[in-house]
Amino acid sequence: MGFRKYVSLALVSMQNTLAYRLTFILNFLSSFVGLIAVYCLWQAIFADRAELSGFSWEQMKAYLIVTFFVNSMLSYYSESGITSKVIDGTVAMDLLKPLNFQKARLAESLGSCVLEGLLSSVLICVFAIATLGIPLPSDGWMAFLFTLSMVSSILVKFGIVYCTALICFWTTSGLGVIWARMAVTNLLSGALVPLAFFPGWLKTFAMLLPFQGIVNTPVTIFLGKMDQQQAILLIALQWGWIILLWFAGKWMWSGAVKQVTIHGG
Amino acid sequence: MSLIEVRDLRKVFRQAKKDPGLIGAVKHLFTQNYVDKYAVEGIDLSINEGETVAYVGPNGAGKSTTIKMLCGVLVPTAGEIRVDGLNPHKQRMDNAQRIGAVFGQRTQLWWDIPIRESLALLKDIYQVPQPLFKRNLEAFTELLNLDEFMHLSARKVSLGQRMRADLAAALLHNPKIVYLDEPTIGLDISVKQRIREFIKQMNREHGTTMLLTTHDLGDIEDLCERLVIIDRGKIIYDGKLQAVKDAFARERSIHMQLHSELTDPSDLFAHLPDVQVEQTEPLTLTIRFDRFRITASEIVKNVMNQAEVIDFRIDEPGIEQIIRQVYDGKLDTAALADSARGA
Repeated sequence: MGFRKYVSLALVSMQNTLAYRLTFILNFLSSFVGLIAVYCLWQAIFADRAELSGFSWEQMKAYLIVTFFVNSMLSYYSESGITSKVIDGTVAMDLLKPLNFQKARLAESLGSCVLEGLLSSVLICVFAIATLGIPLPSDGWMAFLFTLSMVSSILVKFGIVYCTALICFWTTSGLGVIWARMAVTNLLSGALVPLAFFPGWLKTFAMLLPFQGIVNTPVTIFLGKMDQQQAILLIALQWGWIILLWFAGKWMWSGAVKQVTIHGG
Repeated sequence: MSLIEVRDLRKVFRQAKKDPGLIGAVKHLFTQNYVDKYAVEGIDLSINEGETVAYVGPNGAGKSTTIKMLCGVLVPTAGEIRVDGLNPHKQRMDNAQRIGAVFGQRTQLWWDIPIRESLALLKDIYQVPQPLFKRNLEAFTELLNLDEFMHLSARKVSLGQRMRADLAAALLHNPKIVYLDEPTIGLDISVKQRIREFIKQMNREHGTTMLLTTHDLGDIEDLCERLVIIDRGKIIYDGKLQAVKDAFARERSIHMQLHSELTDPSDLFAHLPDVQVEQTEPLTLTIRFDRFRITASEIVKNVMNQAEVIDFRIDEPGIEQIIRQVYDGKLDTAALADSARGA
């Protein structure tokens, strides 16, 4: 009973994303251009060597593509949707409805994720055909684990995005918060540079934080850089963070609601 | 017990106070000064089921703040609220299920999907059973004339259309209580009329309790029997609309067009109490008087003794004048309270 409303919300969010298809696609293409740039950069780096910190050029390509796919889920587009609700006061309209704010935002994010996922899959197929030769997961079991870690990655990202969005209740400005989150996430998730390239202490530090669950986990599973047991452990870690971040979000929300100050009228 | 019970409700906002200019901005980085703004200062209010109450006051008096606390959107600083036995903030979801709200300045529709689908989504959110949804939707479509823009998104419709759609959205789940925060703001007279009719009908047929804030005095006279006036966070009047009118609409004005100029018009009424004469143009007189102390005919007779009157018109006092007096701080609020007790 109570679940249906969130499903409807997710469907409407998909529709909404389609209504902004141009903005959405442009946003998407700009990050695709980013992918090409990074691709060329790494190509130059790998030009006269066969391997770098255990990554072959083939693996690096796969790394870039999977990273792009993961990053395009719950993109800037959906993230700014949550913060702008807080900033421009439409959160008041949400509070009027018998909706749990956190669940509603999750439903909306997942709704637009479906479209984001579809679109990036298409682009990736094009890209993969153009560049050729990407090593796929070794067997069906690993492919399944990869898919599972992909889905979990979205939820970890949602947890982080949601908590940062709630910070806007106190800062009352969104862009700085989003940028700061993006910078930290990009670095510590391994989206910018694989965590394997980090100095030891930084890598250990990154592994202690939730961000690695966004990019590092699915990518390393995809590349087969670990055995099944390790993969399952990493996914369990992702879920630990998902649960922790969900409750952190809940806790922050109960504090944030008291900060609601919408004037006017 | 009343449907809505409010006891000693208070809301204080902390506002950052910055000194002007760059220096002020830099200073603010290190030392934050806050001023407490008392938006609502100790309100008591009880509203029974089926009542329509106008909640009026000047800008910044605390009307919207009160409504937002009743809706559960804002957390009160102190005091107690019970809406249908619930604490709106603590039991926000349950409370939301029973109320509907229209905020004239904001929409609760989704900007980018057709209004028809916004309404369908609200059906799921409020878990409205299909037959009821169908019945309400048909009735609202007819009453509010939604058909012409149902297929458009909220972004694309006019303000009047959006307000009508918002009203439908707020009442779709047959809420017990509806809060209307300036529902007719910026609308033309025919849309206003349609919206008022709709509100009246909902109140009549479903016994929906309505609390309405507005600056439109037509709304008040048309919709509400009870008037609550708030000023600077405090309720200064709570009682029957008619009682206020009787007690405070004492002042009448007569406007006269004269044939020839009077030398000294104020001299005319020197012997009568509380009569104010104003000569707006050489040949036009406006005379204000207390209708309980002097009759209109006495005034007219007095003028006619001295000059030939071509035309005259009497202003019927409206609720508008009274509220304007309150807004200007001219009205004796102690006397208002007395009349409320009498009413």
